[in-house]
Amino acid sequence: MLAIKIWNYFKGYVIIRVEGLTLERLLNLAATYDIFLWDVKRLSSMVLEMKSTTKGFKEFKNIVKKVGCRIEIKEKVGFPFLVWKLKERKALLSGLLLFLILTFLLSSTIWKIDIQGNQQTPKEEIISFLKENNISVGNLKLRMDKESIKDILVEHYDYFSFVSVSIKGTKLIIEVKEQDLPPEKVDKSYPCHIVAKKKGVIVKIVPKNGKAVVEKGQIVSEGDTLIRGILNDESVDEQILVHAEGEVLALTRYSFVIRVPLIKTEEKYTGKIFIQKGIIIKDKGIKFLKGDIPFENYKEFIIEKPIINLGKYNIDFPIKTVSYEYREVELREVKQNIDFLKKTAQIEATKEINSQLPLNAKIQSKNTRHQIDENILTTQVIIETIEDIGRKQIIGNEED
Amino acid sequence: MKERIESVKQNISEAFELPTDIIMDLPKLTLVGNIEVSLFNHKGIIEYTVETIRINTKCGIFKITGEKLEIKTILSEEIIIVGLIKNIEIIS
Repeated sequence: MLAIKIWNYFKGYVIIRVEGLTLERLLNLAATYDIFLWDVKRLSSMVLEMKSTTKGFKEFKNIVKKVGCRIEIKEKVGFPFLVWKLKERKALLSGLLLFLILTFLLSSTIWKIDIQGNQQTPKEEIISFLKENNISVGNLKLRMDKESIKDILVEHYDYFSFVSVSIKGTKLIIEVKEQDLPPEKVDKSYPCHIVAKKKGVIVKIVPKNGKAVVEKGQIVSEGDTLIRGILNDESVDEQILVHAEGEVLALTRYSFVIRVPLIKTEEKYTGKIFIQKGIIIKDKGIKFLKGDIPFENYKEFIIEKPIINLGKYNIDFPIKTVSYEYREVELREVKQNIDFLKKTAQIEATKEINSQLPLNAKIQSKNTRHQIDENILTTQVIIETIEDIGRKQIIGNEED
Repeated sequence: MKERIESVKQNISEAFELPTDIIMDLPKLTLVGNIEVSLFNHKGIIEYTVETIRINTKCGIFKITGEKLEIKTILSEEIIIVGLIKNIEIIS
């Protein structure tokens, strides 16, 4: 019923009033002429009110003449009449259109650029760099190519290890991950703190600019402020922001664990082969000669051959014969030399740590621990070093 | 003669389990509670007021009385009447 009502609304209908004496005859005639009437209401002994389609109304007029009644349109309802009315009111229509276009336009424009995760590069610099590349507030979303933004950022800032660009509503969100910069490279015109880039025990702290907030012997973890770039001037009761500089040496620990099984299994082919054949059509296959594989340990080889070889025409024929080859293998357990294993594990772990060590780190001590648990040799190498753990973090960029 | 044809028609419809109203061209009245009446196969309206509606059919006049009666739809085959229905009478 609702569907019919919606349909009628879109087609447009009229509410009509008929005045006369032989109204029943009028209804009967309308029915025989196939004029669809609905919601017929009796208002008084001489007046009827009903609804009719616009098309039906034209035919209805002719019948009314025959019967001798008076007819008038009370109301025109529906979408076609609405359009007709709007045509008369051009200003309203243009206002409506303008509103729609404006809403669409405003919602498809970038109104804010948000940069997250930058600690050593000032936000303003990235935004001004983007502006040089025609990416700024007020641009259309459609013209933003996320991939190319990513590319130019990564190309310009070579120490960005990761850049992600996303658009949420009218906000352009750029998320960056920076590698640690050498302190000299950070722009000195911006105030900054010096924070710890790794966990360690402070050995020596020499602030050149800014105020040291940690003491010798204190344990700091990653992200802790070491030298503050905010100075409190007691006489003025005001905060002064400075570009903190200084050296913070700390004892840090690196450890690496390697687990090696003492018993190694070796595989050797015995020479026994079990073959099954089948056919595959595209990806679906049928195996003939179904039977259990008679080996406990085996390796499977699948050899495909097209039925008709069209290789020279560069056509991959979809029906192929397949032979599944199962080759038996023998597993043998070999016990390895413990001393040799210990040595190789130690060398490997040391190598791994060395690759992690920064250039200016001084090695203080080196420890190696071995442990044997259920045929597994666990080797842990611990190296303690003294190194500069300071990293500059621009004030105002840290995430709260 | 006419009556005989009718009775033959009725027998046929009973024998083949065909709907009687279609074979014999009889009206079919469906009542939904006391608020809606639909009458198929009518032969025209005779009287329509708010309290009474009389509809001509093959087997006589259907007189429907009630309150606030309205004709919801009227087609050559079907009439749907809504309102508060109190009485349905067949005058033949």
